[in-house]
Amino acid sequence: MPDLLLDVKGLETQFKTPDGIVHAVNGVSFGLKEGETLGVVGESGCGKSVTMLSVLGLIPSPPGKVTAGEAKFFGQDLLKMSNDEIRHVRGAQISMVFQDPMTSLNPVLTIGRQLEEPLILHIGMTKNQARERAAELLAMVGIPNPKDRLNDYPHQYSGGMRQRVMIAMSLACSPQILIADEPTTALDVTIQAQIMDLVKRLRDELGMAIVWITHDLGVVAGIAQRVLVMYGGFIVEEATVGDLFANPSHPYTIGLLGSLPRIDGKEEGRLYSIDGHPPVLYQKPRSCPFAPRCKWAMEKCWQENPLLTPVSSEHRVACWVDTKTGRAR
Amino acid sequence: MVTFIIRRLLLVPVLLFGVTVLIFAMLQLLSPIERSALYVKDFPKNEKAVEGIIRQYGLDRPLYEQYWRWLVGTVDTVNNVRHGGILFGDLGYSRTSSTPVADLIASRFPNTLDLTLWAIGPVIFVGIWLGVQAAVHQNGLIDQAARIFSIIGTSFPTFVFGLLFILIFYATLEWLPPGRLADEYMQVVNSDEFRRYTTLITIDALLNGRFDVFWDALKHMFLPILTLSYISWATFLRVTRSSMLETLRMEYVTTARAKGLSEHDVIYKHAQPNAMIPVVTLAGFSVVGLLGGVVITETVFNYPGIGSAAARAATQLDVVTMLGFALFNGFILIVSNLAVDILYAVVDPRVRLS
Repeated sequence: MPDLLLDVKGLETQFKTPDGIVHAVNGVSFGLKEGETLGVVGESGCGKSVTMLSVLGLIPSPPGKVTAGEAKFFGQDLLKMSNDEIRHVRGAQISMVFQDPMTSLNPVLTIGRQLEEPLILHIGMTKNQARERAAELLAMVGIPNPKDRLNDYPHQYSGGMRQRVMIAMSLACSPQILIADEPTTALDVTIQAQIMDLVKRLRDELGMAIVWITHDLGVVAGIAQRVLVMYGGFIVEEATVGDLFANPSHPYTIGLLGSLPRIDGKEEGRLYSIDGHPPVLYQKPRSCPFAPRCKWAMEKCWQENPLLTPVSSEHRVACWVDTKTGRAR
Repeated sequence: MVTFIIRRLLLVPVLLFGVTVLIFAMLQLLSPIERSALYVKDFPKNEKAVEGIIRQYGLDRPLYEQYWRWLVGTVDTVNNVRHGGILFGDLGYSRTSSTPVADLIASRFPNTLDLTLWAIGPVIFVGIWLGVQAAVHQNGLIDQAARIFSIIGTSFPTFVFGLLFILIFYATLEWLPPGRLADEYMQVVNSDEFRRYTTLITIDALLNGRFDVFWDALKHMFLPILTLSYISWATFLRVTRSSMLETLRMEYVTTARAKGLSEHDVIYKHAQPNAMIPVVTLAGFSVVGLLGGVVITETVFNYPGIGSAAARAATQLDVVTMLGFALFNGFILIVSNLAVDILYAVVDPRVRLS
């Protein structure tokens, strides 16, 4: 694949805990094209956030550590950069929006001050220039009276407005990549829709690539072009959005889709749920991590962990079973 | 912010009333005869005279009347002079110091204030700095060293360090003397050329341009400050460290890092201001403690502040003086709490605007 903006290969991240080493990310590889929106889906603890934090060197260390892999960005490996080098990438070229807008803004600093920081730091604006630009950014994300609201503190903003501020802050330096880590999870549904519309509008205006982390397949369908499905620190399926919803191939993806309520579905019956819990991996699994919860599991699934293999040109899946026929591939 | 301060100020008289009621209640533990000693310099030997005093000051009257008299005193209409009345500054007569209690406080408090002024920095800010360093290097060498060093300070009684420091710096090295000022400088301070602008010796020395006096005063305060600092660092370190560790785990700290800020800015501009909120309370208590007179430290170093005077009054059962100090301490506590509340509002915008 040519012109990949971000090219991650074989990423592995581990955490040291009192109970042993947790293998949070186990050899994840993916690419992100310019201007593309990539959805990353999976249950809590499947490694989707850790993957993105690892790429930006934001894993708290100790206890976390990126143990293998590379992440090429404009020909440079982000994982090999020094602290000072990667600082100039963070917030400038790759920026991040977090899940909970109630806690991701600093409560004792004004909104203006927090918006100005990246502008002064990365673009080298003066305090006054940054102030003006900060007001423009607030206006851009749809906050009324932006000039006055710069002097307010986060607790004077509602949850949805704080997430708008976070988005404004992350886009302040016109980054090539915006990593959105479940940015709508903590918001109620109408605000979710507003935030997604806002991000889509800004994507069309500014043309940045987006990595949208979520556990909500509905959100992915609404915003992404391509999707990675993660489970137990592995990518188990990768496809375009249309293909994923039309032909889900991994039992886990099928389970996820089966547990979505459908507007055209029958009313009776309970929603499907996948039995069991996602694993915490104290060892790198030799079997398929999903095997214990999988209704298709065969003997081979317990012996060898399947690699991500193509089923069509843009669709890859890590499974020994052809879920259409129920037999081995 | 202004309404916040005004509202807090309106509370002050209420609190002061509470303090006076409490102290007055303590006074009632004494018999009228004992209380009569409050009002006279020379306690009469014959019973008749004592009864006269009791009647004169209404010590056998109902409580509310006594309380009112204690507050405002009585006016002798013949000579037009006021007797008693704590509101007018008459706190009674101190047997142990042979002066009115109010005068005793007035002469001792500037020394305590002087000590407090110079001790705040080492006690509070060094303690906070140690805590931040420990948190930033959690479980590392600096963290362990700072914690062990400060725990030693808290584990020993104050007088042990006081005596140890005197032994080393005064008796052996002869660097730092106890007391307040060398005699020669005391004469300078008491002379007419030396103008007492503030009654704080260090400040007045600077204002008079007498750096030699300033230096001598500082030299005398060095050991008390060192002792006070060392015994309080562990507390500040512990509170700052845990608050800082908690703050460093907050999402907005990750946000700050994700923005590309340097680790220095992340710690000192984003994390520390948040971590200071619980430390402000502690700092407030600490300043109250210092202003109220640090009894043991002042006694060990023979420093003529409020604390050593209170200690002497207590050991000689000088109830009048002790109550005077109690009232004064209550007053300081209320004023300091007001200051802490205002400081809270400065540190945390959520307090300021709610």
